[in-house]
Amino acid sequence: MKREYFSPSRFIFYSILGRGYGRAFIVAGFSIIAFLSTMSIIAPFISPHDPTKIGIGPSNSPPSPSFPFGTDQYGRDMLSRIIWGGRFILLVAFTAVLICASIGVPIGLLSSYIGGNLDRSVSLIMDSVYSFPSLILAVMIISIYGTSVINEALAIAVVYIPSYFRVVRSQVLSIKELQYVEAAKCSGANTLSILFKHILPSIISSIIVVATVNFADSILTTAGLDFIGLGLPVNLPDWGIDLTYGRFELASGSWWVILSSGTMILLAALGFSLISEGYAERQNPKIR
Amino acid sequence: MGLREYILTRVILTIPMVFILLSIVFFVMRILPGNPVLLRFEKNADPQLIASYTHKLGLDKPLYIQYIDYINDLFHGNLGLSMSGDFSPVAPEIMSRFPATLELAIYSTLVAILLGIGLGVLGVAKRGKVDSAIKLYGIISYATPVFFVGMVLQIVFGVFLHVLPVYGRYDGTPPSGITVAGIHIQTGLYTLDSLLSGNFQAFLNSASHIVLPSIALGVVISGVFVRITRANMLETIRADFVIAARARGLKERTVLLGYALKNAILPVVTVIGLQFAILVSGAVLTETEFSIQGLGLYLVDRVYFRDYTAVQGTVVFLAIIITTVSLLIDIMYAYLDPRVRL
Repeated sequence: MKREYFSPSRFIFYSILGRGYGRAFIVAGFSIIAFLSTMSIIAPFISPHDPTKIGIGPSNSPPSPSFPFGTDQYGRDMLSRIIWGGRFILLVAFTAVLICASIGVPIGLLSSYIGGNLDRSVSLIMDSVYSFPSLILAVMIISIYGTSVINEALAIAVVYIPSYFRVVRSQVLSIKELQYVEAAKCSGANTLSILFKHILPSIISSIIVVATVNFADSILTTAGLDFIGLGLPVNLPDWGIDLTYGRFELASGSWWVILSSGTMILLAALGFSLISEGYAERQNPKIR
Repeated sequence: MGLREYILTRVILTIPMVFILLSIVFFVMRILPGNPVLLRFEKNADPQLIASYTHKLGLDKPLYIQYIDYINDLFHGNLGLSMSGDFSPVAPEIMSRFPATLELAIYSTLVAILLGIGLGVLGVAKRGKVDSAIKLYGIISYATPVFFVGMVLQIVFGVFLHVLPVYGRYDGTPPSGITVAGIHIQTGLYTLDSLLSGNFQAFLNSASHIVLPSIALGVVISGVFVRITRANMLETIRADFVIAARARGLKERTVLLGYALKNAILPVVTVIGLQFAILVSGAVLTETEFSIQGLGLYLVDRVYFRDYTAVQGTVVFLAIIITTVSLLIDIMYAYLDPRVRL
């Protein structure tokens, strides 16, 4: 018999090419994310100017042929800053998602598979953190440990671990009763191999959906941290930082700084939200 | 299970949850080796000053004693002493800031519910292009940073149109409330206080200040309300009783609003609870954007002054509020929908 293993790449491939409900959302979402990540990765090669160099153009100049996105108050080229500006915010969000998933998923698998009092206690701890606002906890953690990509990611990650835990747990509870799991047990597979080789592949699609929501929220929380002054150093080219400091220039009429940086944050979060909405629509016929 | 047992079980479950959350806050603040007072000052600060701060805040005691003191203080409504010069207690300051945040939370939830239910129903009523547009609105509003919406509103209404104030809560001295039968009632919710004292001018003043912040925050959280209303409406309009109502020749309007919506609206209550965390995060950003002197701005200010006890106090206070709200929402939902208690 041919064994069908789930692979994330095949999942993404078929969800884009395959037909079905929510396809438009999924395609749009993946295109946005692909565009933004490619732009961030190849930023050094496509950016017309140095994003941190002061005085490339006149201060606060509106969009023009030589500066399509205008310049900021220090005369820095906004187009270059936008091209570079996704690097940190996307890196923080990516690291946060990686951390939460690699903590939340194994805990969810083990806890729900073992069950009993252990599962009850872990669920209680997860439930108490679940409803806590990510930004507040992140503010607290960063105010003590200082700002860095890894600290921001860790601070955001803490609150989202329970989201993975809950999804994994609810699925494992039903899957562990299935016959193929029984069969694996009978053939002498140990707990870890049952969990990671037999159960995990069948729940990856749900984990990916949680991850997309997690990604969108992490991007918004990172931008929020920038906004209240707890983000990365202010001279970095970053959408969150440009949006935060651009608003002080509004009085002088330069709307292009906040418009371009704000739109980029929106697009990044939107891309991931579209993907999760597409899958929600595909899986749940009620909302079509 | 009766309603009484449900409430009892839910309350008993909430106690360890609050306790776990408070312990996490404590240990996150203390896990750092050394002394948070050192973070407050530069490295070359006077050792005597550091020692006096450490002693005054009880940070020279062993960790487990500090933890017992912390929990004990919480039971007495004591959230610790501020690390700013005068060691003033944090709790009264938090209480004085809380009404501003509460007022923002109430009005923005109201905006979100009205907008969310309205658009959700409209989408289901029209279907087609209108429905797709509304679905897209739900996704986009969720993905927009609240302060970006705030900025756009500030530019349009404050800078270009000059019709609404763009920062603060009140121009002049805030309304003072009312004294009834010798008891002075002052809620700190300016719109309510001004109405209580019958001062309509003051009401307009405070209401005009809250409009833009509550729209900014309300729009951002309305997306989830659109989704849930839409999903539930789609489910109920396929139900037999709605088909029966149509068959009886009732107007589409009556069918949708009187029959379908009435039955679809209940789960919206649970969303208010789920949205509360997003609301609190959003309030911090909205208060910063609109200079509203609420808890969120207090938190940001205290972080800036490296006042860790005040930060901890605010987070603890918010943790208690959030857990209480989710408890109340669950109880309310169980009361409204007996199936939950099964």
